[in-house]
Amino acid sequence: MKNLKINGQLLQVNADDNMPLLWALRDVMDMTGTKYGCGKGLCGACTVHIDGEAVRSCITPIGALEGKEITTIEGAEGNPILQTVQEAWYHADVPQCGYCQSGQMMSAAALLSKNSDPNDEAINMAMNGNLCRCGTYTRIRKAIKNAADSLDQNNN
Amino acid sequence: MERRNFFKITSLAGGGLLLSTYLPLACTTTKESAFDWEPNFFIRIGSDNTVTFICSQSELGQGTSTGLAMVAADELGASMDTLKIEFGQGSAERYGNLQDTGGSNGLRIVWSSLREAMATTRELLIAAAAQKWQIDTDECYCEDGFIHRKNDEEKLAFGDVLDIASTLSAPREIKLKEFGDFKYIGKPIKGPKTRMAVNGTTPYSINMKLPNMLYAAIERCPVWKGSLSSFDASEALKVPGVVEVLEVEPTEVQATDYRGGVRPGVAVLATSTWAAFEGKKALKIEWEMGINGLKSSQDVQKELEDDYKTNSKANVDLQNATALFEGGRKVFSAAYDSPHQANACMEPLNATAYHRGHKVEVWAGTQSPQLTRDRIAELTELPLAAITVNNQPSGGAFGRRYFCDYVEEAVILSEKVRVPVKVTWSREDTFLTSKYHPICKDYWQASLDTNNFPTAIKYRGSISRPGGYRCYPYSVPIAFYDYLKYKDDWLLPRASWRSVYAHPWGLGMECFMDELAHNAQEDPLQFRIKLLENAKIVEQKALPWVGDDFYPEKLKNTLEMVAEKSNWGKKSEGIYQGVSAISYNTSYCSMVADISMTNNQVKVHKVTAVIDCGLAVNPSQVKAQIEGSILWGLSATLKDAITVEHGHVQQSNYDTYDLMRISDAPEIDVHIVESTDTPSGTGEVGVPGVAPAVLNAVYAATGKRIRQLPIRSSLLQSTDS
Repeated sequence: MKNLKINGQLLQVNADDNMPLLWALRDVMDMTGTKYGCGKGLCGACTVHIDGEAVRSCITPIGALEGKEITTIEGAEGNPILQTVQEAWYHADVPQCGYCQSGQMMSAAALLSKNSDPNDEAINMAMNGNLCRCGTYTRIRKAIKNAADSLDQNNN
Repeated sequence: MERRNFFKITSLAGGGLLLSTYLPLACTTTKESAFDWEPNFFIRIGSDNTVTFICSQSELGQGTSTGLAMVAADELGASMDTLKIEFGQGSAERYGNLQDTGGSNGLRIVWSSLREAMATTRELLIAAAAQKWQIDTDECYCEDGFIHRKNDEEKLAFGDVLDIASTLSAPREIKLKEFGDFKYIGKPIKGPKTRMAVNGTTPYSINMKLPNMLYAAIERCPVWKGSLSSFDASEALKVPGVVEVLEVEPTEVQATDYRGGVRPGVAVLATSTWAAFEGKKALKIEWEMGINGLKSSQDVQKELEDDYKTNSKANVDLQNATALFEGGRKVFSAAYDSPHQANACMEPLNATAYHRGHKVEVWAGTQSPQLTRDRIAELTELPLAAITVNNQPSGGAFGRRYFCDYVEEAVILSEKVRVPVKVTWSREDTFLTSKYHPICKDYWQASLDTNNFPTAIKYRGSISRPGGYRCYPYSVPIAFYDYLKYKDDWLLPRASWRSVYAHPWGLGMECFMDELAHNAQEDPLQFRIKLLENAKIVEQKALPWVGDDFYPEKLKNTLEMVAEKSNWGKKSEGIYQGVSAISYNTSYCSMVADISMTNNQVKVHKVTAVIDCGLAVNPSQVKAQIEGSILWGLSATLKDAITVEHGHVQQSNYDTYDLMRISDAPEIDVHIVESTDTPSGTGEVGVPGVAPAVLNAVYAATGKRIRQLPIRSSLLQSTDS
């Protein structure tokens, strides 16, 4: 039994300490927005934020997460940057099958929280761990830049 | 002329047969207290004004549910802002045999019947409103979910007239809307699918959870056609959460190879996916490796090459091409290799099944809900009526989810335990023990005249697909020679892979055309245009889901456009271009790749593509399909392949089977030919031209011909031009 702070709420998670956060979220907590892709941190589909950092939840056991702030795609309401990213994704018509996109948006939101005006190189660095088999990369790049512009306007 | 053609096609398809199939008249049901009217199997209108479109085709990410919803909303006069979308269960009774989604057919096979069903529904709503208002039906029209009175503010919601509409008979004649009357078709509309994807709430089958459901993971025989000798489950059963360990008996690949092909395996059933995965790791299994245990990719390659040396007869000989090789003419030959490939969909294969003895219900992202339903009936020996296939949106499919082995597994396990079972494939399972795009070797020969210009072509393709020749667009006569057909016991089982055999076919045809152009000392793009100028219209009638003939002038038009859009022949120093032209499933796509070379490494800077897919129902989605197809083709050209050693696939996850990533992605510029012809497919036509465009650009840059995929820098060091 662990007490985890997920999307601002303290929740009791009844699972083995070794269970990766991914499966605790999906199978135990019924939060299925975070996706299983590879189980080895190779594809980024399971990306969540832990204390604001983009982390692969498929290789992160819940035993080490007490006291940390966990944010998933379901927590967008309390996260203005993630919300802005979602809207940019919607308006650029990014998703095809959509399966990787929770992870893509979590990585993009983590990038924008540290770098308000990422150039192509910064986008490559932050997003190269997120695979998309449908091939939505050109729209992802555009959506990140649009999100950066929106955040910039909101701040001015 | 284009416009006339559009109406001719729709009215042709508007026979009574389809209407009677799709319109059980005034079929009404009561759900809870609300009144629902279901005038046909595509639409449900509630007395609370809820309008629900029931999408018969599979949503795999290609946007069919949005495209078809736009068609439905436009023809009905409903509002896309409030339209709800559900997915139809697999049912030949409801949808005829046109439900399974493959060959880029989603939109084009229901285009006419959906419009007719919606136009009929619209007329019934109008007739009901006219009766309420006691005016002529000509005084009314449907728009934005209301029936309006012309020249009047008055309007009635759909839900307000159901009491009358549900009692009316369908009109004898219906009028389809004219192109200019469409409000949504032709615009980049986003449907509920996009919103769900952005919110992370798309109901993929991998999210399924039912009361008492067990989570299953299966260790499958690593060698195709091997068998299970023995297993020891004792350690697996000690893993917390593991409930049961069961043998999975294999199923034979059926004559239609979309069915069957479950590998022998051992299943771990547990209380979570993770516990099942952990339990699986603790299994001890002995396999009998069987006939493929000592075979490797090179052995199949050699089998293909050996068979080429045997005699073969042309099964199709257009314009006596074979005769044009006789008399000691000069012949130019080349062969092109493409390896086994994996679909590598981001959502691993999975399915949930609940076998209750007398009936079975499954939840799966599937391209073939009807075929899957038939197969489950066959497997369980239950009547078709006892089988329900709930079709969930797929996290990518690309042909793999047309094959229903992964659904069979869930049914087999649920039959044993009689509780719901969800089988989730690990990523390793999807690489090591799946079904694959087959290895191919295609041989091309041309007879040349004294100017080195081709006068006839011979094509001998491994595993060639009957009907593949129908996508040959050029005026040079061609003869088709078949040789080795794919055998189901052959190293790896076959699956469809985005564009299926058009990928090896396109690789060979479009690289060969480039080689012929250079032999004749002509510009490769102008050479193709010349060969399309006198080409004949090719009939495609043999394929029932392709409703149109093939028009070479449309392909020529895309080539001319792509020449302009890509600045063909006018590139800056260090940038080299390659071109390709492909027709597939009555769509046409030409593309130009701009590349540079550094230390024998290819960098693709930009791909310019022009597609003619008839009427582009949703241009944003059409472009998305071509963008995705280009990335798909680039992964096969520049990244990894599936290879086999001693029966074992060597690639197990994305570290050994890498795909294009965002830093690899070139600029992509897609243009759509304006057309009001019946919409044709967009999901695959963009794939086959990618590898040849890049390889032809590599030749332009280096003078070296690469004739195999994927491109390795070692090939560039060693290959002679």
